[in-house]
Amino acid sequence: MSTHNTTNESGEMYSASETIIELRNTEVVFDMSRGVSRVLDNVDLDIRRGEILGVVGESGSGKSMLASAMLDAVVDPGILSGQITYYPDDGDPVNVLGLSDEELRRLRWEDISMVFQGAMSSFNPTMSVKGHFVETLEAHEYDREEGMERAHELLSDLYLDPERVLESYPHELSGGMRQRALIALSVVLEPDLLVMDEPTAALDLLMQRSILSLLEGLKEKYDLTMVFITHDLPLVAELANRMAVMYAFELVEKGSTDEILQNAAHPYTRALLNSTPNLDAPLSEMTSIEGSAPDPVNVPEGCSYHPRCPLADEQCVAEAPDFHDVSSSHQVECFHWEDAAEAIPFNIEQPSSPEEGEAR
Amino acid sequence: MNWYVKRTGQALFTLWAVASLAFFLTRQMPGDQVATYVDQVIQNNPEQDPEIVRSNIVEQLMIDPNAPFHEAYIAYFGELLSGNLGWSIEAQKNLNTLMAETVPWTLFVMALATFGLFGISLALGAIMAYKEGSLFDLSNTLLGMVTTSIPYYVAGILLIIYIGYPEGVFTQYFPVRYKLPDGVDPGFTLAFISGAIRHATLPALSYVITAYGLLALSMRGNSIQVLGEDYVRVAQLRGLPDRRIALRYVGRNAVLPLYTSLLLSIGFMLGASVILEQIFVYQGVGYWMDRAVQYTDIPLMMAIFLMITVSVVIATYIADLTYGYLDPRIKSGDEGEAY
Amino acid sequence: MKVKPTEEDTADDVRTDGGQMFDDAESTDVGAVQEYKEVLYEGLVAPAKIAWSDWRTKTGIIILGAFVLIAILSDLHQNGYTILNDFLGIVGSPWELTKPSSAFGCDANGNNCVAGYERSRQPFENWQTPLGTDPEGRDIFAGIVWATPRMLRMVLAGGVFSIAVATIVGTVAGYKGGVVNTVLMTLTDVAMSIPGLPLVIVIVAILDPTNPYLIGVVVTINVWAGLARTIQAQVLSLREQSYVEASRTMGIGTPSIIQKDILPNLMPYIMVNFVYSARRVIYDTVGLYFLGFLSYSTIANWGVMMNWAYANQGALAPSGPRYLIIVPMAPIVLLSFGLILLSQGTDRLFNPRVRTRHEGDTVEDHEMDDDDSVQPAMA
Repeated sequence: MSTHNTTNESGEMYSASETIIELRNTEVVFDMSRGVSRVLDNVDLDIRRGEILGVVGESGSGKSMLASAMLDAVVDPGILSGQITYYPDDGDPVNVLGLSDEELRRLRWEDISMVFQGAMSSFNPTMSVKGHFVETLEAHEYDREEGMERAHELLSDLYLDPERVLESYPHELSGGMRQRALIALSVVLEPDLLVMDEPTAALDLLMQRSILSLLEGLKEKYDLTMVFITHDLPLVAELANRMAVMYAFELVEKGSTDEILQNAAHPYTRALLNSTPNLDAPLSEMTSIEGSAPDPVNVPEGCSYHPRCPLADEQCVAEAPDFHDVSSSHQVECFHWEDAAEAIPFNIEQPSSPEEGEAR
Repeated sequence: MNWYVKRTGQALFTLWAVASLAFFLTRQMPGDQVATYVDQVIQNNPEQDPEIVRSNIVEQLMIDPNAPFHEAYIAYFGELLSGNLGWSIEAQKNLNTLMAETVPWTLFVMALATFGLFGISLALGAIMAYKEGSLFDLSNTLLGMVTTSIPYYVAGILLIIYIGYPEGVFTQYFPVRYKLPDGVDPGFTLAFISGAIRHATLPALSYVITAYGLLALSMRGNSIQVLGEDYVRVAQLRGLPDRRIALRYVGRNAVLPLYTSLLLSIGFMLGASVILEQIFVYQGVGYWMDRAVQYTDIPLMMAIFLMITVSVVIATYIADLTYGYLDPRIKSGDEGEAY
Repeated sequence: MKVKPTEEDTADDVRTDGGQMFDDAESTDVGAVQEYKEVLYEGLVAPAKIAWSDWRTKTGIIILGAFVLIAILSDLHQNGYTILNDFLGIVGSPWELTKPSSAFGCDANGNNCVAGYERSRQPFENWQTPLGTDPEGRDIFAGIVWATPRMLRMVLAGGVFSIAVATIVGTVAGYKGGVVNTVLMTLTDVAMSIPGLPLVIVIVAILDPTNPYLIGVVVTINVWAGLARTIQAQVLSLREQSYVEASRTMGIGTPSIIQKDILPNLMPYIMVNFVYSARRVIYDTVGLYFLGFLSYSTIANWGVMMNWAYANQGALAPSGPRYLIIVPMAPIVLLSFGLILLSQGTDRLFNPRVRTRHEGDTVEDHEMDDDDSVQPAMA
């Protein structure tokens, strides 16, 4: 795979760039018969223009909610609150949660776009792929001819035969083709920010890899900012400049990919890295995380990770930790972040950067 | 292309199978109409030779009820293939003529009913799904279940009694018997067209009000399911107009599973015309079934059977072709689970 | 994960050696009883509870139950056990069940009626004959009750016949596939294209059936086809499910797979379609009696009463005795309403998707669905 060394480039890039979207105290709450379910809890996050942010978390950690929140698209009985500010390339900051329906309709797909997990279920089965592109362009009053030209170009950028794909119906395409067509559909209105929720989950490994490299190309060419949400830590580590780790509906650690991989400061992140299957590591050294993820109605008091954490003490049970700076570009929400590395050693030596191991 | 060949072959096979079955069954009918008729003629004209009278009738009938099965079968199907349905003693008419006079009327009522039925049910079901849980939804669900419990002929009787007869406006506009007003001849005139529509309204309505409920409830269920699909959510996020989502996304995908209902309802309605045309004295093809059975008029019975079956097969054929157009997954699908 | 019934829970403790994994026969005495209890609970008690909690199924069950009760009492009466009238006598009811023949209330000419009876009495006038009498002095309500057991027998026979044929044809065709499938489905398509009622009329004219079970079967002679189609399509998709494939790989025989893995998943369709076939039986038999295609000697069906009102009394004529035809239509509508209520409720009972949507907790489903993909590390 011809991945270039993104770390250096993008390292410079994001330190210099400004914020494109900013989340403050973002919460999503569902009122259920069993009680209030907080599926996104007090998330603060800045996403910087031009970066690829990887959001990692296990099943039911609230990462899909985070994606929906950025488009103010939380499904119905859910209530989204907090402050989400979008900073367009030119023009004034936009308060996403304060937009009118029509403004919000325009913001979605034109400025902030999204790719969903199930590509099959994201297409209308009774409409050709072309129909999806055309109706999107028309709904947003874009020039149809110009837009379709862009669609052609996007599809060829993604190594698809534009004519064939556009004339096809969703069921006639393979999973990988469909997923790429969906990505093209998400970018056809030239958004600045692309949020992807498990875009490769249903695909085989080979297809995952090739889509990742295509995404990198796409990002460069169309000047996109990407948020890549996944449960697959090694996958995103290859792509992302920066990573955010979610546990129990909140962010517990964020930082540059390098720092997270080499110097993860949250016990959960470290356990996550240790449980990741790695071809180089003997199976016996893989460990799973004891216990299970908490229920959204009943998140533990204090630090939500304390029931599963080997470092937990009274303080962790009693109060919730704030973010501590590990470095200027690395924050962690843990009282014992300084002891984590010692208490939970990596079972193999993490490569300094995943690309280095492969590309050289 | 292959699909069309296969489908056409299937239609022809069905026709042959049903016609053979009908032929076999009708020959088992008790009673001998020919003998009865011959006796009648002889009584009136004692000087005639019964054998000659009989052979004259048999010649007109195309089949001799006393001939062995295989001979009769070959003779009858030979005539059918040359486009001859035979002669009806009961109607005293050539059956080709009689069928040409009656079949279009039955199909007219059926088409009116089908379009009315699907128009109302699909729209209502979709609206109910959008307003799920509202008073509108609940009351229509209940109403749908009640009307669904009424047999079509009961609805017909109630329409005749309560809408047709009370002296007043309705009788004038929607007559309860016959297929045309007195003195109106078929032709491309306003009197004919409006007369035909008005006379067909109550019979068609009997189907519609007793069948819309179930269909609307299915449509409602399907729509609710489609509304929960990812592609609807993605379409909303893409900022498509609500109208387009309702029609092109929810409507289109919710209608497809109702296709089997459409097929079954066509056959059901044509069969039901036997009862309904009786109570509305609507002289379509079903109207004659009663007479045919009562007087064991086998050629008439066969002709009715064939005509109704041909109608069902053609309607099904058309519906199949339209379905392939509505659901792109069918044509390219290997087996083509068309049903 | 799927609906496949699991015996593992009960037999776990006994199975220690891997070789006997699938041999339950000797493994458990206690387990077997336990298992039956569970099957009984999961298959009957639990659905019954849910069914009862839904107003539609509840009302449907009450209506059908009332019809069944009336049918049983009426049938007992017709066989000489006059429990119904004994009870009515104790309660002091003005009405009691009597054979609805013209000889009872009045003489053969309809004159000299017994005291209290009169001809052509309107409904709700006199509680001795709550639904009135016909021009011959026959008690209409008694006629309705008298015809009920026969009606229910037809319904039962027709319903069972059509779903049995449909299930067998649909399952075998869908599971076997290949030539068997082609032949059976062609047959089904032909049956679907036959206009049902004319065919039934011809058969009825040939057989002249009077036995209610036979009539029920004749009337549903091609009703099974629609359901067979549905079941076949369902089986086609079921047989590709991984748990069915697993059973096949283990070498479990086809009959046993069909019985254990396929049929339980078809129950919703079977239940709902039983109801629709039953409704069809009511419609068609009453219709056939109504138009006089089915022969009768006594009041054998509600349709007979309608036929009599229509053909002999001119109930549909502008000033005819309307109540004569309307009253016998009431039980037809009521009985099919009970069936429809049951089917609508059943539909929900088996359709978790509709159900959960109503309970409004989609959140967890959503989160779960998201990450259904296999992630070995975090399990």
